[in-house]
Amino acid sequence: MVRLRLEDIEFKQEGFELNIPFLEARPGEFLTLLGPSGCGKTTTLRIIAGFEKADRGRIYFDDIVMNEVPPYERNIGIVFQDYALFPHMTVCDNISFGLKLRKLSKEEIKKRISWALKLVGLEGFENRYPEQLSGGQQQRVALARALVIEPRLLLLDEPLSNLDAKIRERLRGEIKRIQRELGITTIYVTHDQEEAMAISDMIAVMSIGKIEQVGSPLDLYYSPKNEFVAQFLGLSNILEANAENGKACIGNLCFEVKKEGRVKIFFRPESVYIKKGDDGEVVDYELLPGRVRLKIDVDGEIIIAERFLDEIPFLIEKLPKKVGIKVKSFSILESFP
Amino acid sequence: MGMRLKNLIVLLPLIFLFLFFYFPLISILKEGLWNNGITLKYILQVVSNNYHRRIIFFTFWQALASTLFTLLLGLPGAYIFAKYDFPGKGILKALLTVPFVMPSIMVALGFIILFGRSGILAHLIGRDPGILYSWKAIILAHVFYNFPVVVRMVSSLWQRINPHYEEAALSLGARGFALFRKVTLPMLMPAIFASSMLTFVFCFLSFSIPLILGGYQYATIEVDIFTAIMTLLDFKTGAALAIIQISLSFVFMYLYLKSLDLYVKAEEQRIFKKPLPLTLRELLSVNGVFIAAYSAMVFIFILSPLMAVVYHSFTYGGGFTLEWYRRVFSPEYNPIFGANSITAIRNSLFFGFSTVLISTLLALSIAYIMYRWEFKGKNLFDALVMLPLASSAITLGLGYIKAFHKPPLNLLGTWYLIVFAHTIIAYPFVLRAISTVLKKIKPGLKEAAMSLGANELKAFLKVELPLAFGGIVVGAIFAFAMSIAELGATYMIYKPEYTTITIAIYRFLGSRQFGPASAMSVILMMVSTIAFILIERTGEEIW
Repeated sequence: MVRLRLEDIEFKQEGFELNIPFLEARPGEFLTLLGPSGCGKTTTLRIIAGFEKADRGRIYFDDIVMNEVPPYERNIGIVFQDYALFPHMTVCDNISFGLKLRKLSKEEIKKRISWALKLVGLEGFENRYPEQLSGGQQQRVALARALVIEPRLLLLDEPLSNLDAKIRERLRGEIKRIQRELGITTIYVTHDQEEAMAISDMIAVMSIGKIEQVGSPLDLYYSPKNEFVAQFLGLSNILEANAENGKACIGNLCFEVKKEGRVKIFFRPESVYIKKGDDGEVVDYELLPGRVRLKIDVDGEIIIAERFLDEIPFLIEKLPKKVGIKVKSFSILESFP
Repeated sequence: MGMRLKNLIVLLPLIFLFLFFYFPLISILKEGLWNNGITLKYILQVVSNNYHRRIIFFTFWQALASTLFTLLLGLPGAYIFAKYDFPGKGILKALLTVPFVMPSIMVALGFIILFGRSGILAHLIGRDPGILYSWKAIILAHVFYNFPVVVRMVSSLWQRINPHYEEAALSLGARGFALFRKVTLPMLMPAIFASSMLTFVFCFLSFSIPLILGGYQYATIEVDIFTAIMTLLDFKTGAALAIIQISLSFVFMYLYLKSLDLYVKAEEQRIFKKPLPLTLRELLSVNGVFIAAYSAMVFIFILSPLMAVVYHSFTYGGGFTLEWYRRVFSPEYNPIFGANSITAIRNSLFFGFSTVLISTLLALSIAYIMYRWEFKGKNLFDALVMLPLASSAITLGLGYIKAFHKPPLNLLGTWYLIVFAHTIIAYPFVLRAISTVLKKIKPGLKEAAMSLGANELKAFLKVELPLAFGGIVVGAIFAFAMSIAELGATYMIYKPEYTTITIAIYRFLGSRQFGPASAMSVILMMVSTIAFILIERTGEEIW
């Protein structure tokens, strides 16, 4: 188990600049880099792996600076987006590739291969070639190949993005299980917020070239620091209002913000409860499986509410024009300069 | 990989190219543009001379005409190959690989036997067909060499055109020829243009074919340089002609490479429409007849010059003989080329294998640098290693004569200078074969190997090299085929003891001994056939 730390990382490439003042993954932690495409999350991963060189800054594994250590001496396991299985080698040869380079004894290699195959549930596939496997199976082989060398750090670069939705959900559960079982420090790159929430201990949300916020999934979801993080993690309501005497109001709806002046109030649709009343006008609604999403106009601002069907005090066919609203929890966003 | 090793890998190919391409090139420039200061005198002399001007004009004209006829013969083939699966397609496809490996001097000999005044065709129609020693023979031979390229490139792109485009056009009311002209043809243009440019450059720099089939009247610039130097010993005129030729071929080669980029981009499209198996009904319809006729014509066109050579090698005065082979394999000294034939065969094989070794190593390191490494001045590196593609065999020969006839590099007459000349001529083609496979290998594989503990060298040896093997083999065979087929440059720098098979054939032709020339050609053909079979065996798509 290793502690990974990035300090003052600066990386420049034509038209792109990456800056990471500080990022840490504690020993055994599952840290996800989440962000839109082109934000630099894969570049960050490649800097950690040693495939890209940062112009400035330091990469630590525990307390050792790794900047000048070539990738093949870092003892890392990587799973690439396209798996990068060697097409001219069987499953067995792919998995034993790193072991042979480490000059392990034949018996040891055999033992470890069967351990790895069992770990990913691919016993009996030893002599297949990659092209004879399904996408999900290839992904498992890639994972086994990365883990069999007992790496200090596991790096996963969008490992599920080429798979069908169903297999994706199953495999992410397995990745999580294996990571827990081995207790290996893991950096995971994805652009899929649902995947990130489901799998991570910690998430670092990135916008173009920088990290916006690091925190646990729940932390980020309910208390994002700014609008970017809030909107990247799901549907959000963001209202701007003027606060007086620690209170900001929009129509009948008031928030105890304990601040003065202009504020940005944030809450998720599921924090909005519906009751009988006349706080806002229902503009539109959408039926989702078992739920309903309402758009409610409150004093000119649109608020989105999401509730289970049996939680609202009306029949959905007989929705009144006006409804009452209660926002159970909210947070205040950083104002942009 | 250590920085020093990396530097060495970048520097070695450059040093080789500087010594054996750029230094001779500079020698030519000096010869043609220098007389106590820069002068255009020699160039102007050439351009104002009626004879040379006519040759330059003819070189253009025949290249253009050859390209047109090549398209005319190649495009129907491309259509058939892209659209249909039919019995015998595999054989036809293999047959189209044959010209890639058959030396032009041998094909020229085949043409002489077929179309000569007392040749096979003259026997059949009872008079001289009037093809030989004219532009007709030159163009016919150029078409022989180039139409397979058109078939290959255009059909490959044709198969990748998304059928939705044609279906959309059909739904909008386009049909028949209008559909082809407005929708299909524009999408085929990159392939047509690239294959045309390749054909044009080939014909523009053609040497053996016009030398042997053109007679006195029809020469290309390449032949003109050769005559100026080897017969008239007029180096100034030769160099001036070479400079004109290099400048022009440089422009054409640039256009070709640009068009190739467009073609490769267009070909990257994923959609690949499988050709339809021809049904029995279609087989008996117009389509079937068309395909059968085209196949038959390709068979005759490609095989008849080769068969003519084989036939002739066993014939004397209308009867069967083994005399020519007895002569070829006799250990006697042959005054026609100043060595015995066994030596010539041995030399050809030796030069061939040496060329394979050096050009493959050279091309492999260059390809790897081009597609895997980034460093300052890489654009310059790319340009420096591609430029030799624009030079020709005769220009190279001239450069070698000027550059290596005096110390410090007094190399003229050595066997290795011949090998280096062959290497310079062959490696751009090896480079292309290797680049094609190397580009297909995902860079992620190397990184995966490195993350598992392999350093760059090991990752290359264990992962990339095995995956590139097919392309390397094809490249090596190209190099071999080009080396044993090479005539012009070798002829200019060899000594009698280094006589090759092609030089022997050329000498036999010069003294009008077609029998021994044929027997020698058959030996050359057998070597080329082995090369051909190896290419077929690798299954690598040179097609």
